[in-house]
Amino acid sequence: MSERVLLKTPAEIFDNGWKSTEVVITESDITFANTKIQSREIQDLEKLEYAGKEAVRIKKDRNYYLNFGSRQQQIFRYLAFNLKSDRFAVYFLSPATRGGVVVKDSKWEKGYLSITDEAIWFLSPSKQLRISLNSLGSVGKDVRTIGGKQRVVLVVTHVEKGEVITSFVLCPETTLEMLQNYLQQLIDMHKPKEKLSDAEEQILTMVYTGVDSVSIESILGVSTDELNRYFDRFVDLGLAKVVKIRKEVELTPKGAALVSEIMKKAAR
Amino acid sequence: MAKVLIVDDTAFMRKLLRNILFSGGFDIVGEAENGKQAVELYKQLKPDVMTMDIVMPEMNGIEALKEIRKLDPNAKVVMCTAVGQEQMVKAAIKLGAKGYIVKPFQAPKVIEELKRITGMS
Repeated sequence: MSERVLLKTPAEIFDNGWKSTEVVITESDITFANTKIQSREIQDLEKLEYAGKEAVRIKKDRNYYLNFGSRQQQIFRYLAFNLKSDRFAVYFLSPATRGGVVVKDSKWEKGYLSITDEAIWFLSPSKQLRISLNSLGSVGKDVRTIGGKQRVVLVVTHVEKGEVITSFVLCPETTLEMLQNYLQQLIDMHKPKEKLSDAEEQILTMVYTGVDSVSIESILGVSTDELNRYFDRFVDLGLAKVVKIRKEVELTPKGAALVSEIMKKAAR
Repeated sequence: MAKVLIVDDTAFMRKLLRNILFSGGFDIVGEAENGKQAVELYKQLKPDVMTMDIVMPEMNGIEALKEIRKLDPNAKVVMCTAVGQEQMVKAAIKLGAKGYIVKPFQAPKVIEELKRITGMS
């Protein structure tokens, strides 16, 4: 017996360019372009920009990029709630802080903490927040006052668009303990194995803070070559990526002569 | 231009904050490495705002905040804390701290918070 169709809608799929297709969603699967994927077998899901469009990446053995047009959010939310995952009913507050500053308009939401092979998710009817495992920073417990009571919460830090975000999770303490261990294991798997020196920790902190290379050199009293060596190590450890290569120049005789002219002109 | 006093027991953190706040248009009038020095410097320098670390030797940030608020009930103090020190932050807010930033912080956010508090934004 065929499954009840919940939604049938035109969409686009990326296959050497964006091509029209039809998407059919039933209670247990999604079908598009001759591909049927069981919802529970979706390994990862993400909203992103792809080939010039807002797209949804669906991973089942390989990645599929789809654009659901005006149905994008609706379908994304539906799939997020049906992912193959370990799921825990929790209350969450995300983001609690962003870049070190408290986010004042954030509110506690009732939903799920969902853990897939590649990400953790905070899921509620109004929020489907995906945090890639590579972006997880730390997990720990803290005490917060919630509804006038002191409660132990899980504090999860993660990085989003270069900013460190903290989120809080509230659930029964036995679940909290288990979640902490679970997330800690995931974080440890992605952590660099080598220990950083004091100087390396300071440079990493400054890069995070947004201090530019010239200022780092001046603050720490290191040369450009030394700093480049630190940066190379960060790149090797997967802690940083190169976004710009600085150029240093020395004037040619022609350039030096021109500066003399400029000075003369200024003196006139 | 708002005058800032930076209070932190780590030289590196003071340097970092100095750099960030200077580039954000603040006038760094002084630095203290513990709460006791902070109180003394507050009396002398009368800054418009100060960033105050919480865990420090001699006198911690909460005690220093208390002393400074006794001297000047309108003092604008922003607590600077690591993740997991919520109880202390709460105490600080009750004692009149105007805001707090959590380490590690990002420069634009710190500048934004201090500008908000000093009315520069």
